[in-house]
Amino acid sequence: MSEADVAVVGAGLAGLVAARELRAAGASVAVLGVSYVAAASYAGTSSSASSTALNSSSSTGTDSSSTTSASPSATASSDSLPSSTAAPTTAGNGSGTVTSGGS
Amino acid sequence: MAVALKSWKALGTSVHVVTTDEAALGRAEVAVSDVLLDVDSTYSRFRPDSELTHLNASAGRPVSVSPLLATALAASLRAARLSNGAVDPTVGAAVRLAGYDDDFSKIVEDGGPITLRAWRIAGWRTVRFDAVSRRVLLPAGVELDLGSTGKALAADLAASAAHGVVKAGGVMVSLGGDIATAGTPPPGGWRILIAEDSRVAPDSDGQVICAGSGGVATSSTTVRRWTRGGTVLHHIIDPATGLPTVGPWRTVTVVAATAVDANIAATAAIVQGEAAIDWLTVHGLPARLVENDGTIHYIGPWPDPDEVTPHPDPPPQGGREIGAA
Repeated sequence: MSEADVAVVGAGLAGLVAARELRAAGASVAVLGVSYVAAASYAGTSSSASSTALNSSSSTGTDSSSTTSASPSATASSDSLPSSTAAPTTAGNGSGTVTSGGS
Repeated sequence: MAVALKSWKALGTSVHVVTTDEAALGRAEVAVSDVLLDVDSTYSRFRPDSELTHLNASAGRPVSVSPLLATALAASLRAARLSNGAVDPTVGAAVRLAGYDDDFSKIVEDGGPITLRAWRIAGWRTVRFDAVSRRVLLPAGVELDLGSTGKALAADLAASAAHGVVKAGGVMVSLGGDIATAGTPPPGGWRILIAEDSRVAPDSDGQVICAGSGGVATSSTTVRRWTRGGTVLHHIIDPATGLPTVGPWRTVTVVAATAVDANIAATAAIVQGEAAIDWLTVHGLPARLVENDGTIHYIGPWPDPDEVTPHPDPPPQGGREIGAA
């Protein structure tokens, strides 16, 4: 178990945002709750927002967590638009298909 | 592995949540709903009580914003930087003046004539924003519209939040056709039908791609369009003119590492026109561009529509689909 300056109880948006703020202020933070991954992703979103490049999802290999979760942090912190971890393939329709279109 | 799907309406558009663990669908739905409620009250352009409306009304003086609005603003400014200004959050007034001044469901399809003036918008560089203190200063007269990147960011945040509560497996969230994924995908990947309109039923004809991770987004001038005085207008504004774009592409779909990145690239490509082909190629992003006459162009590693990969689809024993729209 690692040590942290601050423990945030609850990994809802408020908890995640609080953790992000505390980290920005230099504290080491542990978020207690089920959303450990969400915490990491949400915290990373802010840094991504400030980065200067777009990333496609396959070239983000520096972040090992991105291979399965492709969290916003993977993209966010890069200076480009990375592609996703694996090139998409063509498939047939099946259960759980959703539509990408303009809206 | 059977996946489970739940669909509903929020933020004036359709929400779809898919989980690989059927038992986790309810938890994922609650997590996504919570994020969308926060997003709506924070940066909806159409809510008089939203934090964004307050910020826009405060142009000319510095304002402290919430962490969520700061995150959304940072994402929109990053979009502007990466797209060399093709995607710009300071188009708010231009969108409104073109007639898109209310929730789209309330826009009259064929309204009377309005006067449209071409004017270079203020531009994202005029926005003063400190990400640490979360202080924002908009120049007087500037209105932000976080619509494009804001919706995609909501999808990314919702997917992350849902993944945090499903415990095992993965989650896909579609918010009005902007798609984010998190966690371990089902065997073969997440299935996504590529269309011009996100309201197209997912079992319709068309290419279905399988993505293992990342985000997918489509921008199109064929939706959210309206007519004023006989002229067809739409919601994608060219920051160089402050008017709806006029270019070779009517629809662009991009696969990237997140929904935000895919949305940035798709929207920028519509605005950039011809130049988008080189720009997307340089970024190495798989993209599908539909010309105004319907001709389709594929860029980078976009999968061949005729090369269907056999998919390990399970027999239809547990594939529960709830409330499919």
